[in-house]
Amino acid sequence: MKVLQTLMTRRRFLKGSAVAGASGAAAGGLGGLTGLAPVAEAQAQSPRGETKITKNICAQCPARCGIDVYTTNGRVHAIYGDTGNPIANGKLCPKGHLGTYFLYDPDRFKGPMKRTNPRKGRNEDPGFVPISWDEALDTIAGRLNRLREAGESHRFAHFYGRGWGASDAGLYGDFGRLYGTPNSAIGHASMCAEGSKRAKQATDGNNSYNAYDYRNVNYILNFGASFLEAFRPYNYLMQMWGHMRSKSPQTRITTVDVRMNPTMAASDRALYIKPATDGAMALAIAHVILTEGLWEREFVGDFVDPEMRFRTGQTIPAGSFAEKWVHGLTEWWNEELKDRTPEWAESVTSISARDIVRTAREFGTTRPAIAIMERGPTAHTNGTYAGMAIHALNALVGSLWAEGGMFYQMGPSYGGLPVNAADYMDDWARNGAWKSQPRIDKAGTAEWPMSGTMMQEAGPNHLKGDPYKLDTAMFFYTNPIWSAPNPQVWEEALKDVFVIDTSPFPGETAMYADIVVPDHTYLERLQDSPTYPFEGWPMAALRVPAVDPVYDTKHFGDTLIEIGKRIKGPMGEYYKAIDSVENVLRHRAKGFETDPGDNGVNSFESWKEKGVWYKKRYLWQQRRGEFYEWDGRGYNVRMSPDEVKAKLIKTPTGKFEFKSGFLEKHADYIERTLGVPAARAGLVQWVEARHTGQGDLYFVSPKTPLHAEGRGGNIPHAIANQQPIVGGRKTVYLEIHPDTARARGIRNGDKVRIKSNLGSIEAYCRYMPAHRPDTLVLPMEHGHWAQGRWAKGRLPGHSGDITENVSDPISGLACYYTGKVTVERA
Amino acid sequence: MAKWGMVIDLDKCTGCQACTTACAMENNTLPGESWQDVLFYHQGKYPSAQMKWLPRPCMQCENPSCVHVCPTRATYKDMDAGGIVFVDWNKCIGCKYCMIACPYGVRFYADEKPLLEPDLRDIFPGSNGQLWSPPYQNPEQDWKRGIGIQPAGVVSKCTFCYHKVSKAPAGTPDLDEDIPELKEYVPACVRTCAPKARFFGDLDNPESQVNRLIGDKHGVRLKDHTGNKPQVYYLGAGAGVPAFEPKPRS
Repeated sequence: MKVLQTLMTRRRFLKGSAVAGASGAAAGGLGGLTGLAPVAEAQAQSPRGETKITKNICAQCPARCGIDVYTTNGRVHAIYGDTGNPIANGKLCPKGHLGTYFLYDPDRFKGPMKRTNPRKGRNEDPGFVPISWDEALDTIAGRLNRLREAGESHRFAHFYGRGWGASDAGLYGDFGRLYGTPNSAIGHASMCAEGSKRAKQATDGNNSYNAYDYRNVNYILNFGASFLEAFRPYNYLMQMWGHMRSKSPQTRITTVDVRMNPTMAASDRALYIKPATDGAMALAIAHVILTEGLWEREFVGDFVDPEMRFRTGQTIPAGSFAEKWVHGLTEWWNEELKDRTPEWAESVTSISARDIVRTAREFGTTRPAIAIMERGPTAHTNGTYAGMAIHALNALVGSLWAEGGMFYQMGPSYGGLPVNAADYMDDWARNGAWKSQPRIDKAGTAEWPMSGTMMQEAGPNHLKGDPYKLDTAMFFYTNPIWSAPNPQVWEEALKDVFVIDTSPFPGETAMYADIVVPDHTYLERLQDSPTYPFEGWPMAALRVPAVDPVYDTKHFGDTLIEIGKRIKGPMGEYYKAIDSVENVLRHRAKGFETDPGDNGVNSFESWKEKGVWYKKRYLWQQRRGEFYEWDGRGYNVRMSPDEVKAKLIKTPTGKFEFKSGFLEKHADYIERTLGVPAARAGLVQWVEARHTGQGDLYFVSPKTPLHAEGRGGNIPHAIANQQPIVGGRKTVYLEIHPDTARARGIRNGDKVRIKSNLGSIEAYCRYMPAHRPDTLVLPMEHGHWAQGRWAKGRLPGHSGDITENVSDPISGLACYYTGKVTVERA
Repeated sequence: MAKWGMVIDLDKCTGCQACTTACAMENNTLPGESWQDVLFYHQGKYPSAQMKWLPRPCMQCENPSCVHVCPTRATYKDMDAGGIVFVDWNKCIGCKYCMIACPYGVRFYADEKPLLEPDLRDIFPGSNGQLWSPPYQNPEQDWKRGIGIQPAGVVSKCTFCYHKVSKAPAGTPDLDEDIPELKEYVPACVRTCAPKARFFGDLDNPESQVNRLIGDKHGVRLKDHTGNKPQVYYLGAGAGVPAFEPKPRS
């Protein structure tokens, strides 16, 4: 009876609701949003406006997947992969669909603001008050003009993380040249994945990530690249996973990692390695490949005397091996590799010699095979050497530029800018005293001679006043005050810097900002994005705004251009000629007029319509030990060694170097910082890592599939779906082996304290018997003290807070995974 | 009329949960109201442990136990809609019998303490009788079939994205997202699946790709012994739910 009463009640309610509907919606608390249309009849099929689909690029990781953004009645309500985009192919990863949250995030900044509270700190309310765009831009430009007039323009720095292309980060170089600062811009690569780039620079001469031919590869040896979680482009990698696991022959995959994860779980063989020892494993595999004669002779070369062999512990005579596309193999074997046996590697890595031999035989006998890596092996003090050892395997099996192998990315056919910055330089820009100033992060100085960027050093250097004090810093898509290792130093450092933040979201940098000039979210932006290393052939995608800006925000590129216009002298004239982001993009797109894309894109308008320009033609191929160039019909033009050196293997010798000329140039530095004798500095070799933190357990902080470029912590559905981090749901757990926990009196689900020499953080723990007992796992990107209502103050604590600022001296990559900690019940 | 079926290949599934978030945004479910969820399990110990996962939509059973127990006939199997099991939100009284009867745990009651705070329902309060009204909600709404955002006090569940599937040309054997003309009719979870672990098609059509896959790769139905006869088939290793084990406390 009660059931029926309830039923009647609902029916009555529904009858009434159609009438009440309109006023109800109008009163509904959707504060700040424009263009609301009340829903007329909620319980029946509602009439709807036309749905418009605009092209965009997801901004939640570096992959740059093309997306179709569905907008109806002025509201974005769905995001799907763009079928016409070669990375997305109609698909998305779990983050991609959540993009609408960025647009309608209730914690977004609603317009430009200035700070009223001069004190800065975690618990200080900035006291922001809204200001006009003119006031914001005039304030910034006034400051920059004064600094320049005082002869101190070098004390202005741009910092950026995710630069997208010509319409934002691409504007930095000219800004620095015209204004006069070496700090335009300090990129975040040294806090990202610089290690693998430097390993490749040291061996094959390309300071770059690789492009890969996953479609044709038959074996993958994966060292700590979270292929099914965070390796790029994640969405495309999953598409390739589906292909590789169902093609004939099925691609066989061995994964080497320090923890159980989806890639380990889905691979054919999962090998748990002791953190920071991947280089030893790779060297032992190389040892087996050579002693068992499995190397690719057509690429590597062979013994002059066919009877000769590589024998464990025995040197080979100089001149006995005729190298083809490699350099230094004899020295590498004699001085390093002959003793790097599987048994030796077992003692270092904890992986059994038996598994190492099996893996080496599979890798060495399956063609094409590739060895891939990312931060796992390289975010340690020995990271570049580890990366070189891994990459050396690709040379041994001849996968460089081969079908089913790996190569390097080509750039798009962009047109030039309307004006040339060189024509707008005044005396200060050309010859000012700023030219003798080092960068604030000292990248490229004697302190970090091989690093292109060292963002993690900028805060500490400012604090020390060495090489100088910054005056003003502008941040775009980066948040080092929270994401740098040991960010507490940055919290102190940025107190006396005039901080300009451009994020649309209330991040930690914004809490220190003196002025906030909020960017659009990506669904509101017109922005270009040449591809990250992908399949090699050139591609450039475009973001097209799906809706007018929801709030009073401005494209970062336009903010930069507007500031430029306000700088006195010819620099201001330059930016008046540049005019706007749209003008920049229209000029870039002129390059497509003479080089139309495969999808017919030949103008700015067609680029906007299709969302991407690409040409599926990679120009080079190596097969059977010869390099060929594309002639319009096939890879038919054989390349000379000089051509290969100029275009492909850009090392001093023009060969893949097991004895690196790049490192030998810095041999004394390497001896001083890593203890490697200068005479040996060039060899691909085993170097022990220096662990920080002073604890008894390794501590790794992986990136998960829902890590949305610093924003995942404030997306409710991302927080709710944080898996497979043993459970997830509404927190992210510290994963601990039960034996390790029990020995410390820690029960499953307990709140625990994780300590290093820098301090401690807290987290709830979960037993995870599938992890190494000596390794704790806590995904990063949590433990914010700002970023919004969901992110702020939510456990677990932030892994960076207990991570020392130590970097690989060669690559400069911050050693996020090298700290050791203790754990106890909280 | 087609009999819509889904095939999930666990040998290709990467456990990424794009199906879960695509569903959540297409159907505007609340955090934790995962009509399409992925369950993770681990067994064994280092160094020979395994981790596996099971994506779990509503099975749209041929013989659905939820329908049998519903006192108001709010939940029903619609043979004119490809055999999809719907909840009529005009009739549902939120008694949750169906949630208990369902062997697969794929029915949800979101009108209670939120999984995650701050509560999205406070930030985007409901209007027009909706439990909550986010600005990004899908304009599609059909309460007779449990499509759109529900009113307070009802049970919600996967609809196989009927609002999409129902617009497909009649007689289409497979709704394959890689065929551009068909992609808008494909359920969100299937459409977005990057490794292409999901397939959607007509189980009554022997020519369909879903039937071929079920045949070639020995498709199985989860908990078939219950007699519910799901219209969702799994392929590959790991198509099962391990016995429940309470988490060890210490």
